[in-house]
Amino acid sequence: MSVIDGSAPAAGTLAGDTPHGIGTSVPSTDALAKTQGTYPYAADLWAEGLLWAAVLRSPHPHARILRIDTADAAAMPGVRAVVTHEDVPGDAMHGRRVADRPVFAHDIVRHHGEPIAAVAADHPDTARLAAAAILVEYEVLEPVTDPEKAFAAEPLHPDGNLIRHIPLRFGDPEAVGEVIVEGLYRVGRQDPAPIGAEAGLAVPRPDGGVELYVASTDPHADRDIAAACFGLEADHVKVVVTGVPGAMGDREDSGVQLPLGLLALKTGCPVKFVATREESFLGHAHRHPTLLRYRHHADAEGRLVKVEAQILLDAGAYADASSDALAAAVAFAAGPYVVPHVFVEGWAVRTNNPPSGHVRGEGALQVCTAYEGQMDKLAAKLGLEPAEIRMRNVLSTGDLLPTGQTVTCPAPVGELLKAVRDADLPPLPDGDDESQWLLPGGTSGAGEPGAVRRGVGYALGMVHVLGAEGTDEVSTATVRVHDGRATVICAAVETGQGFTTLARQIVQEVLGVEDVRVLAPDTDQPPAGPSARGRHTWVSGGAVERAAKMVRTQVLQPLAAKFGMSVELLSIADGKITSYDGVLSTTVAETLDGKELWATAQCRPHPTDRLDDTGQGDAFVGLAFCAIRAVVDVDIELGAVRVVELAVAQDVGRILNPRQLAARIEAGVTQGLGLALMEDLRAPRGVVKRPSLTGYALPTALDAPDVRIVKLVEERDVVAPFGAKAVSAVPVVTSPAAIASAVRAATGRPVSRLPIRPQAAIVKPQA
Amino acid sequence: MSTYAQQTAENVTLPSSLDEAVAALAAMPSAVPVAGGTDLMASVNAGLLRPAALVGLGRIAEIRGWQYADGAALLGAGLTHARMGRPDFAALIPALAAAARSAGPPQIRNAGTLGGNIVSAAPTGDSLPVLAALEASVVLAGPEADREIPVSHLLTGMDPLRPGELLAFVRIPLLHAPQTFLKATGRTGPGRAVASVALVVDPARRQVRCAVGAVAQVPLRPLEAEQWVAGLIDWDGERTLAPEACTAFGEYVAAACIPDQPGVELPPAAVQLRRTVAALSRRALGRALA
Ligand SMILES: Cc1cc2nc3c(=O)[nH]c(=O)nc-3n(C[C@H](O)[C@H](O)[C@H](O)COP(=O)(O)OP(=O)(O)OC[C@H]3O[C@@H](n4cnc5c(N)ncnc54)[C@H](O)[C@@H]3O)c2cc1C
Repeated sequence: MSVIDGSAPAAGTLAGDTPHGIGTSVPSTDALAKTQGTYPYAADLWAEGLLWAAVLRSPHPHARILRIDTADAAAMPGVRAVVTHEDVPGDAMHGRRVADRPVFAHDIVRHHGEPIAAVAADHPDTARLAAAAILVEYEVLEPVTDPEKAFAAEPLHPDGNLIRHIPLRFGDPEAVGEVIVEGLYRVGRQDPAPIGAEAGLAVPRPDGGVELYVASTDPHADRDIAAACFGLEADHVKVVVTGVPGAMGDREDSGVQLPLGLLALKTGCPVKFVATREESFLGHAHRHPTLLRYRHHADAEGRLVKVEAQILLDAGAYADASSDALAAAVAFAAGPYVVPHVFVEGWAVRTNNPPSGHVRGEGALQVCTAYEGQMDKLAAKLGLEPAEIRMRNVLSTGDLLPTGQTVTCPAPVGELLKAVRDADLPPLPDGDDESQWLLPGGTSGAGEPGAVRRGVGYALGMVHVLGAEGTDEVSTATVRVHDGRATVICAAVETGQGFTTLARQIVQEVLGVEDVRVLAPDTDQPPAGPSARGRHTWVSGGAVERAAKMVRTQVLQPLAAKFGMSVELLSIADGKITSYDGVLSTTVAETLDGKELWATAQCRPHPTDRLDDTGQGDAFVGLAFCAIRAVVDVDIELGAVRVVELAVAQDVGRILNPRQLAARIEAGVTQGLGLALMEDLRAPRGVVKRPSLTGYALPTALDAPDVRIVKLVEERDVVAPFGAKAVSAVPVVTSPAAIASAVRAATGRPVSRLPIRPQAAIVKPQA
Repeated sequence: MSTYAQQTAENVTLPSSLDEAVAALAAMPSAVPVAGGTDLMASVNAGLLRPAALVGLGRIAEIRGWQYADGAALLGAGLTHARMGRPDFAALIPALAAAARSAGPPQIRNAGTLGGNIVSAAPTGDSLPVLAALEASVVLAGPEADREIPVSHLLTGMDPLRPGELLAFVRIPLLHAPQTFLKATGRTGPGRAVASVALVVDPARRQVRCAVGAVAQVPLRPLEAEQWVAGLIDWDGERTLAPEACTAFGEYVAAACIPDQPGVELPPAAVQLRRTVAALSRRALGRALA
């Protein structure tokens, strides 16, 4: 349910009903197949004579492996191969940022669910039974599960327990404000919970190589990791991206892809794997559980003077993307506010908890929860409205981040806040008509209108766009025109974020060709990098635009020369080429005359720096901002919370596809709602509890609020292609803090922990 | 080479009467009955259960509806939650209809049955506290003669289903008085009960009967609290109660279901659960008698 008030979406640029080009709601090509259930996902793959894989995973979060005996498993009828660490021909260690993770655990197990061995058999049940028949003798070790104790604990890994420490120093440490508030905040472990569990097919090649058909979101990185592990040259491993059933970050668990390839190479047969739901929860990366201690100083008018923070990210057993998450957490620790003095200590530490990694908005989300909690505390202490204190401190273009970087992109934070603050509030339900009132607690009959309190809360969030701290953010795309049709070749993975639709829109816009195909990505194409942080809109969209423009020049150049006018005076639309004065009019097809035109281009944004040892540096290419006002109803006796409405104002640079944009915002705020109210993968003493979609509750349609997009600020970011900003992550980052703020307003309780448990929203009767 | 599990289709029997179903189970003692499959198939899919054969109960018309018998309703075990949630059924047994309406998302309610809910006997089974409060009994059909036992005997395992036996009917007294079912889930969307309370007023026996679900393995009956509150009611008059009495009842029920442990402080989770049960019981009584 979404309402866009304000500027109406731009109409199609062409006559006719089909939306076309940039700024219109061109529908996604796979939407129909996905709704009808015919879209092929990785789990639907099939090859003649395939074998089935199963992975044996550790039941312990921390243990020494004394012995692995695969003899019984290997002897089972139907079993074709068993692989352990001894069967890894190449690098035994891998990792997305740091190679600190074994393909198969062999001496030490560091988290519950870590892969130890894998089996290929002619039937999935046989494979599973055989995996269970592998004998592993463990010496169970005491797990380190409290990140605060990781500093002093015995090293869990040869690299030590401290993955990264960033001490950010900005301004005068002696500065003090007239008003000081302190807070301790905790954010739980959100699982990306992709509805399609991990799956894949590995097919050996006659040349000794292997092809991996997986739902990768970063095919080239996955190929390189796989090739290193298999001991093959990169050109002997091909990753083919199959339908991605939802991605929230680094989608795939290498613990699946690597065993799959090893088994295919060993047996010479295609091998298929489909993770069980439980394995999916155990294997992939989660959002970092985080502990945050804050002290905010303000003057008597509520202007921020100093922010001091300690941020502790629980990385789990391996580094993965923790360093990136920490950089974001530290840099955005004070939020989109102007603060003259900021001092942050940030750590990412190793524990035996489930692995953490890149999940949309990592780092930025956790701090948003904390700094917005602090803003509410300051408002209460100063007797200011929560929206007012925020308004007095908003960041703008030209201000400094605590990292010393100047904000050069549009930063319409105040405008966003004003838009949500001034939007009409949703009406209160008619007290007499209970049927019109979906009470907190839903349709289960427990709700009682008399016990319901309504609250309104605010949050401002920010994220960085593209990889930070010197990541080489490059993408390459090829555009081909032939026979009145254009084809885009770009290894940017469509994860549901809408890249293929955007690529079609760009080519339609630049070349005036209606029929645009986007080929499925694989690693034979040049790399485009990961599908994350909105980077494909920027770098891959930018590369597609450049390539399309090069083709356009090739089409028009001969014509321009012939008629003695410059290319700029010609325009293409709807397959027709016309000159500015209307004298020349021909079609693209006629001009091409059967010729095929190709162009390949790259997009590489300006470089960034790594944060130095005081947390300073120009680490980010771009920033995106969002303001959310949450309205909640709380049953103050049962502690049940229903989010009635989320009003969103977002800084988007430019609207490329209004419908997709609205869908991204709705999806984002709902994911944030999940974290705010229910999603927390519990792992007491390192053992994951209830790894199922019954045990791990996700928001359903009844939980989802009305999402009202009250304003989309279109202030173009001049350095970004099309001036567009990434849109998916910042609503996820902001909505949990807004919901917490609204629950605070409804109950007067501090609400310092996410998800908000019912006991935190109960108002005890006055004794 | 075979790559797919041999489909168990040939091992599925679909009898069209109770007698046939009982005969089919007798013929194949390893067969498992399946109604809506919403509990059973989840176990099969999770690899926890590999039934050698299935006897599907979905085509047995005689257990998919209800009939009246001596002031009671005889409900077929194959009634779905969706059917029980409809207004005609709600007029008959309001608390059971409310429980059925809250038992999972619509897809599950369309398939899941009363019989399956009882036989699964999950602590969070939503129909169970209602049946306990109504003092329902179950009719079991088996190779021997049919037998009828109180539902509580089945749920507590005091008198379990015997091999080859099917749950055929549930007998429920029709009380013609207010009854309520309230369930706390901690969320707005569908969810399993954290705690639930069923409360029925029985004017003929001058009783208020209450059962609390999800806080223990089986629904709990706070008998003393029931008797105490029944004693406060003017059965021949208005049958209303003051809010203070409802509050006291809530506390009474909660303390009975989540008792103090001598010498130890109640852990925070138990305190929270007690608070929830107290609020639900108070609200349930208030709605029935306010
Ligand atoms: C997503 C989801 C949400 C759910 N939410 C809820 C909820 O909120 N509340 C709730 O109470 N339940 C819930 N359930 C559980 C389930 O839907 C109910 O327990 C349902 O009533 C089970 O009925 P069924 O017909 O599907 O049983 P089945 O799965 O067919 O059978 C369950 C068991 O009962 C046996 N059985 C079934 N009928 C008979 C019979 N007539 N005689 C003898 N044995 C029999 C079967 O052999 C099996 O062992 C949920 C389930 C799912 C999957």
